[in-house]
Amino acid sequence: MSNQKKRNFQIEPFKQRVIVDPKYSDKTWKILEHAIHEIYNHNASGLSFEELYRNAYNMVLHKFGQKLYNGLVLSMTFHLKEICKSIEVSQGGSFLEQLNRNWNDHNKALEMIRDMLMYMDRTYVSSTNNTPVHELGLNLWRDIVVHSSKIQSRLLNTLLDLVHKERTGEVIDRLLMRNVIKMFMDLGEIVYQEDFEKPFLEASAEFYKVESQEFIECCDCGDYLKKAEKPLIEEVERVAHYLDVKSEEKITSVVEREVIANHMQRLVHMENSGLVNMLLNDKYEDMGRMYSLFRRVTNGLVIVRDVMTLHLREMGKQLVTDPEKSKDPVEFVQRLLDERDKYDKIIVTAFNNDKTFQNALNSSFEYFLNLNTRSPEFISLFVDDKLRRGLKGVRDDDVDLILDKVMMLFRYLQEKDVFEKYYKQHLAKRLLSGKTVSDEAERNLIVKLKTECGYQFTSKLEGMFTDMKTSHDTLLGFYNSHPELSEGPTLVVQVLTTGSWPTQPTVPCNLPAEVSVLCEKFRSYYLGTHTGRRLSWQTNMGTADIKAVFGKNQKHELNVSTFQMCVLMLFNNSDRLSYKEIEQATEIPASDLKRCLQSMACVKGKNVLRKEPMSKDIAEEDSFVVNERFTSKFYKVKIGTVAAQKETEPEKQETRQRVEEDRKPQIEAAIVRIMKSRRVLDHNNIITEVTKQLQSRFLANPTEIKKRIESLIERDFLERDSTDRKLYRYLA
Amino acid sequence: MGISKDRIKFNVGGRLFETTATTLANAGRDSFFGALFDDEWNLSPPSEDSIHFIDRNSDCFSVLLDLLRTGDLNVPANITERLLHREASFYGLLDHVRAAKWGPFDGNRLRLSDSVKGSAPGDGTAIRAGPDGGCCVAHGSVVHVYDWMLEEHSPINLDYQRVNDVGWIDSDNIVLSACERLGRGEGGMGLFSSSSGDLRYKFQVCHENQVKSYTAGALSFSPDYKIFSSCKGRSNEYGIGVWDQITGKQTDFFYESPGWSLGDADKLQWLNGKNCLLVATLFPRKDNCYISLLDFRDKNMVWSWSDIGSPMAIDEKRVRDAIAMEDSNSICVVNEFEDLGFIDLRMYGGSVRWSSRSKLMKSKMPDEPCYPKLALHEGQLFSSMNDSISVFCGPDWVLTSRLRRSYGGSICDFSIGGDRLFALHCEENVFDVWETPPPPII
Repeated sequence: MSNQKKRNFQIEPFKQRVIVDPKYSDKTWKILEHAIHEIYNHNASGLSFEELYRNAYNMVLHKFGQKLYNGLVLSMTFHLKEICKSIEVSQGGSFLEQLNRNWNDHNKALEMIRDMLMYMDRTYVSSTNNTPVHELGLNLWRDIVVHSSKIQSRLLNTLLDLVHKERTGEVIDRLLMRNVIKMFMDLGEIVYQEDFEKPFLEASAEFYKVESQEFIECCDCGDYLKKAEKPLIEEVERVAHYLDVKSEEKITSVVEREVIANHMQRLVHMENSGLVNMLLNDKYEDMGRMYSLFRRVTNGLVIVRDVMTLHLREMGKQLVTDPEKSKDPVEFVQRLLDERDKYDKIIVTAFNNDKTFQNALNSSFEYFLNLNTRSPEFISLFVDDKLRRGLKGVRDDDVDLILDKVMMLFRYLQEKDVFEKYYKQHLAKRLLSGKTVSDEAERNLIVKLKTECGYQFTSKLEGMFTDMKTSHDTLLGFYNSHPELSEGPTLVVQVLTTGSWPTQPTVPCNLPAEVSVLCEKFRSYYLGTHTGRRLSWQTNMGTADIKAVFGKNQKHELNVSTFQMCVLMLFNNSDRLSYKEIEQATEIPASDLKRCLQSMACVKGKNVLRKEPMSKDIAEEDSFVVNERFTSKFYKVKIGTVAAQKETEPEKQETRQRVEEDRKPQIEAAIVRIMKSRRVLDHNNIITEVTKQLQSRFLANPTEIKKRIESLIERDFLERDSTDRKLYRYLA
Repeated sequence: MGISKDRIKFNVGGRLFETTATTLANAGRDSFFGALFDDEWNLSPPSEDSIHFIDRNSDCFSVLLDLLRTGDLNVPANITERLLHREASFYGLLDHVRAAKWGPFDGNRLRLSDSVKGSAPGDGTAIRAGPDGGCCVAHGSVVHVYDWMLEEHSPINLDYQRVNDVGWIDSDNIVLSACERLGRGEGGMGLFSSSSGDLRYKFQVCHENQVKSYTAGALSFSPDYKIFSSCKGRSNEYGIGVWDQITGKQTDFFYESPGWSLGDADKLQWLNGKNCLLVATLFPRKDNCYISLLDFRDKNMVWSWSDIGSPMAIDEKRVRDAIAMEDSNSICVVNEFEDLGFIDLRMYGGSVRWSSRSKLMKSKMPDEPCYPKLALHEGQLFSSMNDSISVFCGPDWVLTSRLRRSYGGSICDFSIGGDRLFALHCEENVFDVWETPPPPII
């Protein structure tokens, strides 16, 4: 059209507008419409792509784009209506197949039409904001076929029916399902959701509601859980086979809600098979199943955890408050350890080692362990028992394991200082009597306590070990400097630092001359090497080995306490002694003397003395002679002192009191520390801060804290604010 | 299947061509050739000597076939660009032609490829390169849109509202910011179709839940689909507005604090690494220059600089444009003598370190100077001055190239995008297109 440019001269009158044949557009469209018709009739083999493309191109070029587009819409609508009819008349099972076949045909046709009209798509459609051909074809299919009144509900029902059949165990044509549902997805996410997914989820909810109701009526908890696992797996499989991936989350949440969440409470509390029953009978598998199912649901695990906690507390409370069970401390602690092991195992194997469950376990133990005020004592006794004899022949690793477990219990204790008191006493006994089995185990435990509670907590305990070591060295030195002492009685002295060891009232007694000479020598040696120290003899804690010869030349070595030794030595000089005489000679306090005489005269097999008259108890008028008829199978005879291993009631009171007394300066120190940094603080805040600071050692009593504050005010460390009486000020 | 099976014969407008299916496969499925050889259209396998007839220009076909074979575009003199583009459009090969026409952008290898003269002289406001090689030129109240073939489309006409800035959302959508007209509540920001020039959407500003009319100034876009614009409202609601590109809704507004300038800003720049917006209001729009970095997450001005109170002895060194360079943690500024200056972004209240380099320029200042502009592209810094554009490279910003064409007067704006540089001249309303030539054969 632009070739006029080339002419140098212009003769305008001949210039005619090139008029396109008025019927041109109709003719061209007829060709294209015919092609579309042939494509839909599977008769495309005779068509020439080049010709069709060129015709479509020309129509757009000559500004007939709108006509072409409108024609396409009309023609496609016509064909889709035909298709629609053929689907509608299809019967029963062939319905889906027919639909799927036609859908595939339409897709193929659409592809070819798009190729043919590619130029229109690229230029006309994009510049006029019309819908591109492919999308147009899908939209028309959606509106004409899928949303047809005779197809829409029938299609949906057929699909849901098939899903239902599969759920009840029938085999269905999954490939066909997949193709039809793929059609929904191709038509767009909204179509898939509105026309299929939503009703599908509703139907599923209904189905599982009924099914789960049936199950729960006839199954116990374990069986129900087994059954509840199945639909979850099945639905995930179903999604993989023929649904959109995005539906997985939705259908799973429907199943979770219907099958698990709605029945949670009932399942957990089911009589004879609920969670408590599982816990009691160690049903790890069932509990594991419950955990993995319930954790899918919000609050599911909270319910499980709460029930477990409640049960644990109830069980623990019974355990610690039952007077029968707390008779034997070792057994008491062993029982606690067993329970802990049991629940530890449950949490590890069934509850996926869930942190929140562990916390629940810990808080429960903390709760009931402190219900019994004697727990600290018992735990210390348990350790004492283990370290005295229990650990003999046990490998190091196992020792460590047991100690670790004990530490676990220790952590639950609120009154850690009470434990410390007892532990100190028990440790002192073990060390002094040389009963401790393994030095390493002892030190091990102290290291553990140190990491748990800090240096302060164990410094005195460590001091005790140091004392033992230095005593050994001192003794060696003593004997080296006094070589003349190698004959005669041997003295073993343990020098204890005051303060590091549990204080015992010093009970004086008259030692036999042989011994007291030796003692004096040691005293002068010790004070000679260490200036500025004071030695006092704890005769009530010592032991002695003495050789004795009885009637028919029976020789024995007697292992006795210092007091007993004092008594027995008296019999070197006289055959018969009255109680009064013994008391006068030894000056042993009456209660101790009675106990020591009782253990030597009244215990069968250990009666080296004979009492007159014969009776169980010692009276002041009694008199004693050496039992010449004493026999024993062993050469060495150990004569114990009659003593209770467990504390007597007054002793317990005393320990308690000592603990309370020890706490006072600690509370005061804490108050001063806090006030020093805060300067001004109100009462409630002091209480919380102090409690927090002391938590690692004991649970401070608020009234006690209050008393300490009063005392500090009296001593001018603090003052009350003149206007607000609740405020305290620190006085520097 | 022998090798010969691969051979395809064409008769194009009477001339015979022979090629292979492999060559044609380079055209892609969404092209004439892709459809032609699709199985759906080829139910009967073509016989050995079947010839496809195409009723098109054979000279162009040979050029395009060569393009498919080699990826290289060689147009003989007798074929006009328009003819080539029309034929490429028929076959669906326009994208191939565009990709072959110019190479990846390199500021030091640019060649002038075209100059396009606008319809009205003078007073161009801004030129913006589009993502696919097109551009648009704001000109009073009209924006002219050119595609990558430099064909002009229907202009966007704003009915006498002055256009302040233009920006491309994508190759089909342009955002315009315009002045409010007194007495009419119009102005502000609108989204327009680049192909038809139609208004598609109007962005609104709300203050205290009331829609207010406003004047929109400089624009910037962030990769997370936000639009930023400096805004001036009728009742002193000055500040920076933020909109969502997808929903079109206003999502935020950063109000100007007293004694500082945001609503008058000349330049906005989104800094992706710092998650901040650079806002620069420069002399002579205001008496002083203000540069700030805004963090919209906690509504905080995280960095600011101003020349208030700096000694007037260096009066001639007023900052005329600024650009943040995230890699070197600094802001580059330029004065009217094309001296580059740098401000350290890591220090608060630092001063400009001028690199005085071009005092020579001072002697030959044209009568009607245009203020210099800055641009940054992949580590290369561009600065326009008078009728040329300087390219600086390297850590010390050494001058490495200068682009100049002695026609059209000073450059009033330039823009880089779609691997092209567009420079708009102020006198003749002519703009130049600079491209990097395709890479050498060896």
